[in-house]
Amino acid sequence: MKDTLTTSRRSVLVGLGAGLAALALPRGLRAQQTGGVLRFGLSTFPPSLKPFDNTGGAANTVKLSIFRGLMGYNAAAELQPEVAESYEWTNPQTLVMTLRHNAVFHNGDPVTAADVVFSLNEITKEGSTAFLKSDLAIIETVEAVDDKTVRITLSAPSSIFLNLLANYCSPIISAKSTEDNVIGCGPFTLGAQERGVFIEVARFADFYMPDEPHLAGIRFIAYADENLRYSALEAGDVDLIEYLPWTQFDTVEASGRLEMKSTLGPFMFLLFNVTDGPFADPRVRQAVGYAIERQDVVDAAFAGRGEPLYGLPNPEGSPFDLADPEHEFTYDMEKAKALLAEAGYPNGFDCRLLATATYGMHQDTASVVQAYLAMIGINATLDLPDWGSRVTAGTEGRYDIAVHGTSGTFNDPDALFSLLYSGNPSYLQSFGFKSERIDGLLMQGRTEPDVEKRKAIYQELYAAYYEEVPQVPLNWRTQAHAMTVSVGGFEALPGFLNGSTAFVLEETTLA
Amino acid sequence: MAGFLLRRLASAAAMLLVVGTIIFLMLVIVPGDPAELLLSTGGGSATPEAIANLRAEMGLDQPVGLQYLNFLAGSMRLDFGTSIIDGSSIAGAIALRLPRTLEIIAAGTVLALLVAIPAGTLAGLRAGSGYDIVASGLNALLTSVPGFVVGTLFIYLFAQVLGWLPAGGYIAFASDPVAHLRMLLLPAVTVGLHLATIIFRMTRASVLEMRGHDWVRTATAKGLTRRLVVRRHILRNALGPVITVVGMQLGILLGSTVLVEFVYNWPGLSGMLVTAVEQRDYPTVRAVILTVAAIFILINLVIDILYSLLDPRIRLQ
Repeated sequence: MKDTLTTSRRSVLVGLGAGLAALALPRGLRAQQTGGVLRFGLSTFPPSLKPFDNTGGAANTVKLSIFRGLMGYNAAAELQPEVAESYEWTNPQTLVMTLRHNAVFHNGDPVTAADVVFSLNEITKEGSTAFLKSDLAIIETVEAVDDKTVRITLSAPSSIFLNLLANYCSPIISAKSTEDNVIGCGPFTLGAQERGVFIEVARFADFYMPDEPHLAGIRFIAYADENLRYSALEAGDVDLIEYLPWTQFDTVEASGRLEMKSTLGPFMFLLFNVTDGPFADPRVRQAVGYAIERQDVVDAAFAGRGEPLYGLPNPEGSPFDLADPEHEFTYDMEKAKALLAEAGYPNGFDCRLLATATYGMHQDTASVVQAYLAMIGINATLDLPDWGSRVTAGTEGRYDIAVHGTSGTFNDPDALFSLLYSGNPSYLQSFGFKSERIDGLLMQGRTEPDVEKRKAIYQELYAAYYEEVPQVPLNWRTQAHAMTVSVGGFEALPGFLNGSTAFVLEETTLA
Repeated sequence: MAGFLLRRLASAAAMLLVVGTIIFLMLVIVPGDPAELLLSTGGGSATPEAIANLRAEMGLDQPVGLQYLNFLAGSMRLDFGTSIIDGSSIAGAIALRLPRTLEIIAAGTVLALLVAIPAGTLAGLRAGSGYDIVASGLNALLTSVPGFVVGTLFIYLFAQVLGWLPAGGYIAFASDPVAHLRMLLLPAVTVGLHLATIIFRMTRASVLEMRGHDWVRTATAKGLTRRLVVRRHILRNALGPVITVVGMQLGILLGSTVLVEFVYNWPGLSGMLVTAVEQRDYPTVRAVILTVAAIFILINLVIDILYSLLDPRIRLQ
């Protein structure tokens, strides 16, 4: 008996010793392990990497490391040829593109015009779930002129067609791709992965840009909790994270070993059920627009990191400056009350305010909105289901007023198309809202080749947005990537392009 | 004995069927369409046509009754099908992740037993002493702190401030044993801490009760050493109820590791469940809950059988 006790005590001591040694060891090991593999903290594990579906920011980041399309963006957010080497509009509806002679797929095959035809047809074919299916329906024909030349004919002129080709949901994949094995031609090749945990990609030696990518590989690790994601960065578990929590901006700025790259990208806004009740009256929606002090939303929900948004959300980097003080919702309580009285609600009314408990920023925004609405007599009851239920409630119109946040995919007013065009209703739009004027302007804007005329169209859209109130804009929010100072060459793309920041991954380095 | 076993097995099977049916019905009722969710992320909106196409691809356009029968038939063959989100094998994912959850629970339980039984015994033997008051007070305090708070504090202290341990994550033991153990330590301690408070309380009370029995007094009067009395006459009897409680807690722990795994980004079964619920991945949610329920029922079955072996009267009840 005594012996057993001694043995067990010894083994406990040995165990403790091993544990302490384990605690002491890893610092050195960690330094050696980094090498050229960037450890990237994702906000969620990509639900899928289907090349043409949009399944969220994390998925798009990983996809851009594996797949590339005909067009792309550089670190300065300039639209440029990517898999295409050059392009020419032979007339406003015909685009001829020449492919890079050295572009090859991950299986070693050269990228040919036939692959481009295949890829674009996959997006637009019957039964496709592609994100850009309706946008690219504008393609009338796509044909291979020769091995490296493609001619795309559009059914109408398009001022944003090249932006669509640069989208993370329109990559060129090999015609030999199968559902289980999609072959891309991006800077990295897909390696090991475990669902919910990590995805590894390795440098593709035959990438068409000489000497790129600089990294030997990237290990994407999913951290669904934003605070843990930040802790992992601070503890040195990862080198770079996306969606830095707003409460940590100050810490990162003050830190000597961390830095951040940020931009005003996504924005927050309010949606309405306009089928019946008070919100069917645009004056009531305008009253809501005037009733909210937007800086309070920025301060309460985004730790002061963002900017008030008073009119149409024209993104940073847009080719047009549309600002028009005549058509903006500056904070004006008296005007709000007057509008409400004019619409027949001098004493206000009760309503349901839908947001979600899944995202703290949505919930906090809703709380501020609720407080300001109460001041003009609109008593809103908060409804805060989880995200999945929130989306369904939005689609089915089970709300009176709703908080939402989103971003477009490129820096042009046309990026607001899916938010405003009534031909494609979704939870991103006010339930039941339809405006021929807005629909018409959106269509004109995307088909008008002349820049000056386009600007005039969008200025009119700016006014229509204010007068008809399909949404009430609240604020831009600052979005940031944070990284250790050893990460070089990484730039956050500005405005709506922030979600396409992964275009810079091939230029990123690790000291 | 055979009759008792059969009865218990039949009731376990019936319980599983009930659990399975409830899970199935709940997911039918819960709002949220996986196809719409999947295509609605990332700032865009999908056309109703694209959503319908994806629903068909996911098999969600089949009648609910048919889906239920498929689910039952599949579950009976331990074939849980594939995730509707990415088409991966659910049984494969569970086989990969269940051991990790069990690993945290096992490591946590061992740590808890190692600390709480000696500490509880001592508190029971010296009830009312300074040690007992301090230990019981500390225990009460720890009981009231939720696991995710402990986890958050641990990460802040050991990962962010001291930099001794990783903030979370997972590396397989086979690929790097040291890194694996470093990542296991904090989650295991967090899970173990709560269990330890329960074991401590139970051990203390049990020892206190045994101490007062006549046969303990007799043993002491016979001249046995205190050590022998404690070990043979008090502890041996006192540990019975403790083991029962630990057994029951193991089942409960399977469910309560959800937050701990989430806090530490430990890719066990719980994280899989949380993600699946968020994405409305119905087949995965059902399979995970069914697995946990089956383990829970199994543990109870084993405890019942063990009891019936120890105390034959139970078989007759």
